[in-house]
Amino acid sequence: MKRSYYGVLCLCFVLLLNIFFTQKAIHAFYYQNYDATIIFAILNLVLFPAAVIIYQREKKV
Amino acid sequence: MEHDHHKDKTNENKTINKNNTVPFAEDNFTHNIKQLQERKLDRRGFMKTLVGAAGVFAVSTLPWGALAMRELSRDGEKQYAEKEIVKLDDVKVGEAVQFTYPSEHHTALLIRTGEQDVVAYQNACTHLLCPVFWDKGKEKLVCPCHHGFFDVTTGQPTAGPPQRPLPQITLTVKQGTVYATGVKRYET
Ligand code: FES
Repeated sequence: MKRSYYGVLCLCFVLLLNIFFTQKAIHAFYYQNYDATIIFAILNLVLFPAAVIIYQREKKV
Repeated sequence: MEHDHHKDKTNENKTINKNNTVPFAEDNFTHNIKQLQERKLDRRGFMKTLVGAAGVFAVSTLPWGALAMRELSRDGEKQYAEKEIVKLDDVKVGEAVQFTYPSEHHTALLIRTGEQDVVAYQNACTHLLCPVFWDKGKEKLVCPCHHGFFDVTTGQPTAGPPQRPLPQITLTVKQGTVYATGVKRYET
């Protein structure tokens, strides 16, 4: 059976977004943009369940 | 299965040692390396690692979010206490003095740029928090760590890695004494 690397790709993209959001959150914090910090922190939190869902969908293919 | 097979082999040419232990049948000391139990990173393992990484990232941004919440929940402008720094006459034109403001843990620099002109900045570099110092010859604030330079009149970074201006401290001069009155917010 040919494996699907779709999940690996998606999760790599999630990791990219994680890095991006973390960077943005911390920069916004130092620039005293506190709303933006909270938004990016929440986005980063949401990515975790998303990653779990991607894993569960893709582990068997 | 693998294990049993191994056992048989050892039992075959069993020679009992003096202290009643059985030596291993082979002499290359690889009996405890089992090929089937070697760790390997397969596709699924890699995906698991990535999910774990997502979890770590999520948790690591939490404290920043919490700190931001705390800042937002404070109503109105941040209040700063007035603090006496130095007598104006004790600093020559072109010289700087170090002080701390608003708390003991925030070091800052006061620079007298003219007869009547004084500016002050928190001097933790906005790149990686090294202490920035005043270079009299270059008339710039210099970070020695990675050669960051800041403009003395605005606190804006002019060269090197820093991207964010140094936080400026507002000052008032009363009867020849300089007081710090607050830290300027960044304009957004
Ligand atoms: S810490 Fe100041 S330039 Fe890097």
